[in-house]
Amino acid sequence: MIARRPRFKLIDVVSHAYIWLLLLVFVTPFIVLVGYTLTATSGTSTAGNFQFVFGSFLDNLKWSLIISAATLVGNVLLALPAAYGLIRYPLPGKRLLYTIVTLPLYVPGAVIGLSLLLTYYFTYHLATSVFGLIFAMMICTFPLMLTPIVVAMKDLPVVFEEASECLGATRWQTFHKIVLPLIGPGVSAGLMLTFIIVFNEYLVTLFVHPNDITTAPLRVFNVVKTAGLAPSTTALAVVMQVISLAAILLFFRLFGTRYFKGTYLI
Amino acid sequence: MSSVRFESVTKHYGQTVAVEQFDLEVADGEFVTLLGPSGCGKTTTLRMVAGLIEPSGGRIFFDDREVTRLPPRSRNIGFVFQTPALFPHLSVADNVGFGLSVKGAKKAQIGDRVEQMLALVGLAGYGGRLPAQLSGGQQQRVALARVLATDPTVLLFDEPLSALDKNLRETLKYSILELQRRTAKTAIYVTHDQTEAFAISDRIVVMNAGRIEQIGTQTDIYLDPRTPFVAEFIGANNALLGTVAAVGADADEDGRHAVTVAGDGFSVECQGRNGLAVGDRVIAYLRPEDIRVLDEGEQATQRNVVEGEIDRVIFEGATAQLRVRVGDRQLRVDVGGGKRLTLGDRGRTVRLGFDRLNVIPTGVGLPGVPVEDVAPDATA
Repeated sequence: MIARRPRFKLIDVVSHAYIWLLLLVFVTPFIVLVGYTLTATSGTSTAGNFQFVFGSFLDNLKWSLIISAATLVGNVLLALPAAYGLIRYPLPGKRLLYTIVTLPLYVPGAVIGLSLLLTYYFTYHLATSVFGLIFAMMICTFPLMLTPIVVAMKDLPVVFEEASECLGATRWQTFHKIVLPLIGPGVSAGLMLTFIIVFNEYLVTLFVHPNDITTAPLRVFNVVKTAGLAPSTTALAVVMQVISLAAILLFFRLFGTRYFKGTYLI
Repeated sequence: MSSVRFESVTKHYGQTVAVEQFDLEVADGEFVTLLGPSGCGKTTTLRMVAGLIEPSGGRIFFDDREVTRLPPRSRNIGFVFQTPALFPHLSVADNVGFGLSVKGAKKAQIGDRVEQMLALVGLAGYGGRLPAQLSGGQQQRVALARVLATDPTVLLFDEPLSALDKNLRETLKYSILELQRRTAKTAIYVTHDQTEAFAISDRIVVMNAGRIEQIGTQTDIYLDPRTPFVAEFIGANNALLGTVAAVGADADEDGRHAVTVAGDGFSVECQGRNGLAVGDRVIAYLRPEDIRVLDEGEQATQRNVVEGEIDRVIFEGATAQLRVRVGDRQLRVDVGGGKRLTLGDRGRTVRLGFDRLNVIPTGVGLPGVPVEDVAPDATA
C-alpha cells in the first residue's frame, strides 16, 4: 500500500471562498456605515456625532420603542387565540380567512398607508393619533406574528392537550402550561419579526403618524433629506442598527436556549 | 374505583358509523379489553369514556353517575395514549405531578406523591430528567405514573404498547396488569393484538365495524366463537361452508347436540350448539391445532378421519405448520411435540383425525372478513 498524500481539494477552497465573499457583500454596507460615522469631519468629533444622537434623537427612539412594544403586545394577544382557533377548530372558510388576514404582506406599504389615512379621516372621522399609528403597525405586522404561531400550532400534536385535560387541567391551564410553552419557538419568531419590522418601519408611518410624533426611522430620513449625508446622520442609523441587533440577541437569549433546542420529542 | 356502564352508546360521523349501539358493563376493578381490527370503533369507544369524543347517542355511567357530557377533567380518569405524550418541556417529576398541581395540591404533597408513583413504576430517582432523556419504555412507564398520581377511578389504555419494540411490549404488558391489580382500578384497554388481549384481560370484547361481536373470557372467545368474524379474527381456523344435514336428539352435559355438517365434498360430525336445525347454512370452523396427524396403523379415536396429501411443511420451531390437500381443499394443520420432527415431506399421504369443530350459522354478526370455503392462509 502506498500512503497517498491528502489531495488538495479545490472544491473546498472554492466553496469556502464563495461563502466568505457572500458574507462580505452582505456585511459591507454596515461596515461602511459605521466607518463613516467614525470619521470626524471638520469641526466635529466622533463622540460629537453620537452626542447629537443622544440629544434630540432620544425622543424619536423613545416613540419607536413605545410603538413597537404596544404593537408586540397587541398582536401577540390577537394572534395567539386566532392561531389556536384556526388550527384546533373546524372553521368554515378557514383558508379564505387566513388569506385575508395575511393580505398586508402582499400589499405595498404605500397602499396600506394611504388606505388607512383615508379610513381614519372618512370612516372614523379621526385625526391621526398615536393609537392610529399603533393600529396601522398592528395591521401591517399581524401576518408576521400569526404565521409562525400557526405553523407551530399545526406542528403541535393534539395529544398533549388531551393528556393535560384528562389529567384534570382546565382549558386555560392547558393553554398556558402546555400549549404556550410548546409553541414558544413560533411565538418568539413572531415577536422578533414584528419588532424588527415595526422598529424600522418608515413608509406606512409616514402616512399615518401624528404631527407631534416622529419615529426614529422617520427622523433618519428627514435628516438625510435636510442635512444630507452627515456623519451625525449615520450615527442615528448606527444606533438603530445596534438596537435591532440587541433585540435579536435578547430574543435568542430569552427564548433560544429554552425553546429553540429540540422542543418536543414525543 | 367504580364500574363503567355503556347504554346504547353510538357515534356517527356524518353518514359514517363509528360505534353503533354499544352496550357493556365493566365491573369495579375489572380489566376489560376492546379487541378488533383497525377502524372497528374501539378507540372511539375509549375516547368517549374519557370525554375526548362526545357520543351521538346513548349514555355512559361511572357507577350511577352519568358522565356522557362531562369534559375529561371532571371525570377523574387516567388515559394512557399510544405515545407516552409526556410534556417535553417539563421534568419527569413535573409531568407526574401535573395532575395534582392543576388541581391546586400543595407542593410538599405533590413531591411525596411523585416519589411514590415513580417508585411504583420502578423509576425512582428519575424525577429530575427531561422526557427526551428517557427510553421509549421508560417514557411509557412515566406516563403510567402520571395517570396513577391523580388516583383516577378508571384507567383507559389506547394501544399503549404499539409504539414499543417486541421485548418491551412483553414485559410492560405484565407491568400494566400488575399495577392495575395492585391499585384495584377498573381498566379498559384497547388493542388490535390478540396475544396482548389474551395475556392481560379479565374479559375481552371483540369489536367489528362499530359493533360488539362477542364478549367473553379468553377461553369463551377462543373455544366458542359465536360469530364467523370472531372465529376468523381470533387464532387460525379452517372454514368449511356447508349445511346442517342431521341433528342428534340427545344433548350432552354442555347442552350441545351431535350435528352432521355436509358441504361440497365433505361431511363432518361434531357437537353443535343448541338451536341448529337441519338445512341451516353454517360454517364449520376447524382449528389447525385440533387436528391430529394419525400414525401409520393407529386406530383413530376421532369421529372424523380424512386422508390427504401433504402440500407443504412449514417448520416454525415450536410447532410445524402443514398444508394438507384433502380432496380439492387445503387444510392447515399445526403439529407440536416430537411429531413435528417426523412429518416427512410433501407428497406423503397422511390420515387426519379431528373431533372439535365450531359450527356457526352464516349471517350471524357482521360480514367482516370475507368468508371463503377454506381459509388456509389465516394466520395466528
